[in-house]
Amino acid sequence: MIGQQIFNGLTLGMAYALIAVGYSLVFGILRLVNFSHGSVYAFGAHAALLFVGMKLGIFPAILMSLIFTGVLGILIDKTALEPLRKKKSMPIASLITTIGISNIIQNMLTATFGSQKKAFPALFDFGVISVGKLQISWTQICMCIISLMLMLVLVLLVHKTKIGLAMRACEQNPKAASMMGINVNFIISFTFFLGGVSAAIAGALISGYYQIVYPNMGYMAGLKAFAAAVLGGIGSLPGALIGGLLVGVSESMAATFLGSTYRDCMAFIILIIVLIVRPNGLFGKKGITKV
Amino acid sequence: MKKMKKWVGLGLVLAMTAGFTGCTNNSATSSESTSDSTSTTKETESTQSSESTETIKIAVAAPMTGDTAEYGIGFTNAAQLMADEWNANGGVLGQQIEIVPYDDKNSSEEAATIAQKIVSEGDIVGVIGHFSSGVCLTAAPIYQQNQIIEISPSASHPDYSLVGDYIFRNNTVIKSEAAASIDIATQDLGKKNIGIISIKTDWGTNTSQVIKDLVEQLGSDVKVVAHEEVVEGSDDYSPAITKLNEAGADVVICAGMYNLVAPVAKQYKQINPDIQIVGFSNAYSQQLIELGGDSVEGVCFPVIFFSESQDEKIKTYVDAFTKAYGTAPSALSSQAYDSVGMLLTAIEQAGTTDSQQVRKFLADLGYDGVTGYTKFDENGDVQKDFIKVTIKDGTFVKMD
Amino acid sequence: MNDIKQKKNFNIILYLEQFIDRFKLPLAVSSAVLLLIFPHLLTNQYILTIVVKVGIYIILALGLNILTGYVGLVSLGHAGFVAIGAYTASLLATRLGLGFFLSMLCGMICAGIAGILLGLPTLRLSGTYLSIVTLGFGEIIKTIAMNWDSVTNGTLGVKNIPSPSIFGLKLTIANGGFYYLMLVMLLIVTLFCYVTYKSRTGRAFLAIKTDEMAGIMMGINVTYYKVLAFVLSACICASAGALYASLIGYIDPNTFTFDVSTMILSIVILGGMGTIRGMFIGSIILITFPELSRSLMDYRFVVYGLILVLMMRFRPQGLLGWKSQMPYKLSKSITRKLEQARSDKQENLSQ
Repeated sequence: MIGQQIFNGLTLGMAYALIAVGYSLVFGILRLVNFSHGSVYAFGAHAALLFVGMKLGIFPAILMSLIFTGVLGILIDKTALEPLRKKKSMPIASLITTIGISNIIQNMLTATFGSQKKAFPALFDFGVISVGKLQISWTQICMCIISLMLMLVLVLLVHKTKIGLAMRACEQNPKAASMMGINVNFIISFTFFLGGVSAAIAGALISGYYQIVYPNMGYMAGLKAFAAAVLGGIGSLPGALIGGLLVGVSESMAATFLGSTYRDCMAFIILIIVLIVRPNGLFGKKGITKV
Repeated sequence: MKKMKKWVGLGLVLAMTAGFTGCTNNSATSSESTSDSTSTTKETESTQSSESTETIKIAVAAPMTGDTAEYGIGFTNAAQLMADEWNANGGVLGQQIEIVPYDDKNSSEEAATIAQKIVSEGDIVGVIGHFSSGVCLTAAPIYQQNQIIEISPSASHPDYSLVGDYIFRNNTVIKSEAAASIDIATQDLGKKNIGIISIKTDWGTNTSQVIKDLVEQLGSDVKVVAHEEVVEGSDDYSPAITKLNEAGADVVICAGMYNLVAPVAKQYKQINPDIQIVGFSNAYSQQLIELGGDSVEGVCFPVIFFSESQDEKIKTYVDAFTKAYGTAPSALSSQAYDSVGMLLTAIEQAGTTDSQQVRKFLADLGYDGVTGYTKFDENGDVQKDFIKVTIKDGTFVKMD
Repeated sequence: MNDIKQKKNFNIILYLEQFIDRFKLPLAVSSAVLLLIFPHLLTNQYILTIVVKVGIYIILALGLNILTGYVGLVSLGHAGFVAIGAYTASLLATRLGLGFFLSMLCGMICAGIAGILLGLPTLRLSGTYLSIVTLGFGEIIKTIAMNWDSVTNGTLGVKNIPSPSIFGLKLTIANGGFYYLMLVMLLIVTLFCYVTYKSRTGRAFLAIKTDEMAGIMMGINVTYYKVLAFVLSACICASAGALYASLIGYIDPNTFTFDVSTMILSIVILGGMGTIRGMFIGSIILITFPELSRSLMDYRFVVYGLILVLMMRFRPQGLLGWKSQMPYKLSKSITRKLEQARSDKQENLSQ
């Protein structure tokens, strides 16, 4: 049973890792916890559902939803966050703004789609393989593969391309980066775009796995993914992956040994311990506090 | 110029959301049938209130928004249908009937406020509603204090009807329904090792406890091998399912609404395709099939109301409901439908809307509705016969 | 063009402020009289319930304001403190039959202890991290309330919470007693906040908010004051929680969700962080708004979200935030002391 439970946890962890990437990307560059990411994830899933419903074929539909959600990410930055940066508001202001945006998106989804759970078509439904006593479904395997691929693409993007270089420059010192001729606002918007795209991928994949979509889906998942991002060291992409897996497995273990009702607080307990013991997470770089 | 840019951006956001809304309305998904039906309700309401000045008002207090909105909207629709039928025949006591919906968001806090509001309105004859037992228990004392009749079509907690003599329920108490579910599991399916998976709400906790007690009383070789509680907010039930499976359950009683039964069935069948799942009547909803697809094939549950029934009265009702709102009525909505009927009949018999009089007649009333013959006992509870229903080839059918 | 508009806007507010300042006394007296006779003016219980609810939310907002407005720490888990207060008080009242005020006091003590527990570790954290931990705290409290069946009754919640009584007189909504109880508590909390703000403690809070590093340099014990702010804030919210529980008569874990925390925060931000009157305005607007527009049901929380976004964007100091931007006025006794010290110094120098 433990083997099966660990595997359950790993699959769940992959899902968290997928969402956690978005937190890491934005935090890395803005030092801002993007609270709206959970609802952007729900938005991505609904967009996918909508386009799948239009009978475009499943992959074009998902592609459309990726673009749509990415644009939403840019819009969030341009309309709400960029003005705050220009005004040099307190960091609290941006945080509260993202909470507000999260509220808006989630409730707009509820208003348009209704709050009930809706069916989502299964992706990669090729049955189940049994390895010893383990039952592994193809959906789980595909989800793991795609998550790893996404992670790889993102890491390559950040470390091997020119725009990635610019992103890292902005992360280290926005002012210096802008003096080097980097359009910092563009880079930030691009990061938000990437965050939106990754949220939509996560939304489509996870909904395809559980075959359920509803507007509140992003709330708990978003918080847990955030815990995963912090655990791994927020701002670090491999950290998000490891953190997600750890949170997933510990949740699964909590459900096994303590009961399913305790699983939801596992992520927070981990989060609080990590923040107190090692605020930079497992893979995080040590931040420098400027006075 | 800069300011302009910002406004353009804001406009874009709005346009996008609006476009999104537009898209949804165009594509015929199941979700917008509910929103459509609300608008229909609202329209009928407005036309009615403009037509007649003297009306008899019946409140429907239930969640119209939030996670359980479809039940509240179902209640309102059913109540409106019954009111329309009466209105077409001249109303009651020569007056038209008006259904006034109130949204309690299925939260006790809102419900307390709503109940105060209904009481303060002064001209509301009776209340159909409040959805979950916990919410009902908050609101009921307020109605009782102010002598307003409340009939809940859904509350199943034993304490609810004990609040007072103005408090009725048109739903069976948990115990009889749980007994029916166990009966399906042990008699019809012939299984011995029962696993329970329940949602961690007041209803779920109560129900699972009742199941355990009943199984214990059964004695013999039937036993509960494992009980897992799950919380809302997570769609991953695999740890609980793995535990149940390891404990050797061959039938699982799933105490939750359709939104629990469907994913549990799906995830359980990935691990153990032979598992039998038994649910409760509040899982009886078209959405169970939509959400569960192939996995919910063979899921059984006891219901009081079965929309595919061949009974003439039920057929006309289901047709009328489907015609008006696009979906077949659920069991709970049908109980709301009957509840309005009972209240109106009692008003007619009493010849007045004075709640003291109406209450007396309501308590003695024997009503033959779509959910069977209903008569309140001294607590204001009802006993009903259960029909055993299962899912076959994507539709609900009666069990043999 | 927009700039001119903003300036004009500012002038109106300035004018309003001057108006209020000029007629301070008559305004205060008339509103006090209005508040006192309010329950006799109308017999509508519904409106009275709403008014009491507004009052409770003002107390909650005042509580959060100490933490967020004075010290500048954003908490997203205040529902947790409310829950502790409500649960402790109502469990003591229903199980042990303690009176309302005693059980409320116990609730406040429990919440205070929780405040210390939460406050201490969060000292290592700042800004968003702290907010996240408080959010986790709120969720953990909710999970505990849900799972600790033997004490909290789990999801079944606590039922039949008695209404408070004084000398055998039951204070309910119907006889208006509950309203006066709320009014008295509100008055006490408001005075407490005002006194705190004007005291040495308040100045330390503001120093931490404005520049923590400078505060440390000035010899302010930041640890002590941050924990103190947590404790005060927790106690105030717990008292409101106890009041709330006896108003509704029934609580369960789902009464204290993240939405409640967001709601309190929205009030503080709309009204203006760091002001006291802002909390009044904020609660009145945000609590009565959904009651007035039940037709907008689906979009209610969209509007809350818009408020947060737009306020941060255009008026981060809140509707009535002008006060918090004015220079801090020292109280007269302090000013006198300062003068004294200054003259003493000069005398010393001249000697």
